[in-house]
Parts: sequence; structure tokens; C-alpha cells
Amino acid sequence: MTSSAEHGEHTSDRPGGTPEAGDAPARRGRVRARRAAVMAVPAAAVAAGLAILTAEGALGVQFAISGMPFTVTATELNGTGFAQFGALDEMAEGSPNAGDTGGQVLVVTSVIKNATLTKLCQSVDLGGTNLVIRAGEGAQKVTASDLTTDSTQLSGDAAFNNIEIGNDASTLDKAGPKGRGPKGVFSQQSDTVHIASLRQTNYATTAGVFKLPGLKLGFSESGC
Amino acid sequence: MSGGPRGKLRPAFRRWRAGRPFWGGLLLALGGAEILLTLRASLDVVLHVGMQGLAGYLLPAVMLLCGVLILFNPAQHLFYSVIGVLVSLGSWLTSNLGGFFVGLLLGVAGSCLAFGWLPDQEPRVSRRRRRKEARAARAAQAPG
Repeated sequence: MTSSAEHGEHTSDRPGGTPEAGDAPARRGRVRARRAAVMAVPAAAVAAGLAILTAEGALGVQFAISGMPFTVTATELNGTGFAQFGALDEMAEGSPNAGDTGGQVLVVTSVIKNATLTKLCQSVDLGGTNLVIRAGEGAQKVTASDLTTDSTQLSGDAAFNNIEIGNDASTLDKAGPKGRGPKGVFSQQSDTVHIASLRQTNYATTAGVFKLPGLKLGFSESGC
Repeated sequence: MSGGPRGKLRPAFRRWRAGRPFWGGLLLALGGAEILLTLRASLDVVLHVGMQGLAGYLLPAVMLLCGVLILFNPAQHLFYSVIGVLVSLGSWLTSNLGGFFVGLLLGVAGSCLAFGWLPDQEPRVSRRRRRKEARAARAAQAPG
């Protein structure tokens, strides 16, 4: 009796008997909206919470970008523990951004142990449109620790305290262990750095923990 | 000429897709790939920095892996989707704001689809057919 019942269940697709049990595959996996919402609602709440905390500057975020040149501007940069040295950035093999450079870019690596930036603007050219991140335009400023940037261009009005110029890059000590370059490379370091109307063209920002109060992320026709 | 193999392949692909949370896994994997593409920090620097730098790579890699595993081991899709959503949200902190939000969005959407997916459901009844059936039912009721 039970076997016949089971058999019946297996053969007929629907107990009611559909008028057309023809072309469509009978039973298949499907997304149930209510089940998906069980996860979607808390996930959206957490995502919104993360974005709000970041925009308030309570939460630090990390950046690790390279290969694509991007522009960073700020009206003012104050930092302690500054080191700078030349380096050669290698792109990933076969990178579409390599062009005629052979995949190598000569860069100036700047390491700032603790930096405070006012009106930070960072833009990446995505071909036609720019992804722009703005932060620190209100009373609170952007802070970054262990900010390491590889730049090809750097401009601004700079002032340094206790600067040492011409050290070997491997002997630097003012910006911590990350602010140390290869042997035999020209370098400079200082206790504090102040740059007004900063403008950098960067190839890489790495492992800078940023706190971005007043974060705005959006696409724009013009960069920074 | 191309109709021959495609004519056989497409129903096979449909059947394969029917047995797994296809869009969920695909979106999650794409999200992980997108974040990895925006990173591209040289491995030297990452290793130099240590755990913090490594996490930037680790989280999108786990996203990619979870997405692929959802596709090829759909029996465990609940577990993978929970890991996937947590890691996707974590990538906001570690990996360029979750690949500038795009990868994070793809990852969360994919994980939710995979989580909400159930195998062996009734076939979907299209709205037009439902309306037609309702009309037929009304028509059957009206004279009676």
C-alpha cells in the first residue's frame, strides 16, 4: 500500500494534475523570495551600518590598488614619520596597463606613519567615467596610518621638520619598518611633513588604513 | 550548423542550472573576481605588510571560492552562502571598500540568492497563464 502511494507520488508531477505537463521541466530548484529576504535584510542592514560607520570615521578601511593610475588631492596633509625613496613598480605580467613601459613604472614611494588629510579626493579613471571618492570635507578630517603611496607625480607646497636628505633607503627609521627601501637608493626622511594643496598621481596605495569621515562614493565625468 | 550542438547543449545546460543556485553562485563568484581585479597590489608589498595586506586578497578569494563551490557542490549551498555573505561584507573593510561597492553588492546579492534557493520546487506558473487560469475558473463558475 505504501509502495503504491510512493509510486503515485513519483509519477505524477503535481497532485492536482496540471492541464499542460508538457514542455517545461517538471520540478527545478528555485529561489524563494522570503527565504532570500531572511538573509538579504540583515545583510543590507550590516552593509548600511558599515557604510555609515565609515562615513562617520569610526571605522577604518583599507585600500590596496595598483596598476591603474589614480589621482589623490587634498587641500592639506599633515603627517608624522615621513620617508620617501625611489622604487620600481612592476605590474602583473601581461597587464593591459603596461603599454610601452615594459610593465615597469618608476615611482616615488612615500610612507607616512600617521597622516591627516583635509578634503581628500581620490579618483580613478575607468575610461570615460571617473570613480570619485571624497571624504573629510566637514569638520572631521581623514586620518590614515602606514599610508604607503607609489606616485609618479607629486606636487604641492611642502614643509618638513628635521629632514635628512640623501640617506641610503635601507637605513630609514622615521616611518617605521614599512618606510624602508632597497639598499643603495637615494632617500629622504623627516619627523613631520606638511603639504598644502597636495596633488599626487599614484600607481599604488597599499595597506593604508583610512578613516573616511563624510565619505561620498560616486561616478563623475571629471576627476579630482 | 551551430544549431545542432546548441540544440542539445541548451536543454542540458538548463537541467544543470535547475539543480543548483546558478545565479547566486555566479554573482558571488563574479563579485569576488571584481574585487580581486581592483586590488592588484604587488605581492611583495602585501607580504611585507603582513596579515592586514593579506586579508585584502584573502576575502575576495574566499568569495570566489564560495561562489564556485555553490555551483559545483550545491548540496552545501546554505553553508557557502552564509560564509559568502559574511566575507562579502568584510571586504568593505579590507579590500578597497568591497571593490568600490560593486563587488560587495554582487557578493551579497549572490549569497542571498543562494541562501533563498530551494531544490525541487513546483514549476513556476507565469503570470499570463495564472491570469488565464483565473479567467477560465471564473468562466466555469459564472454559468453554474
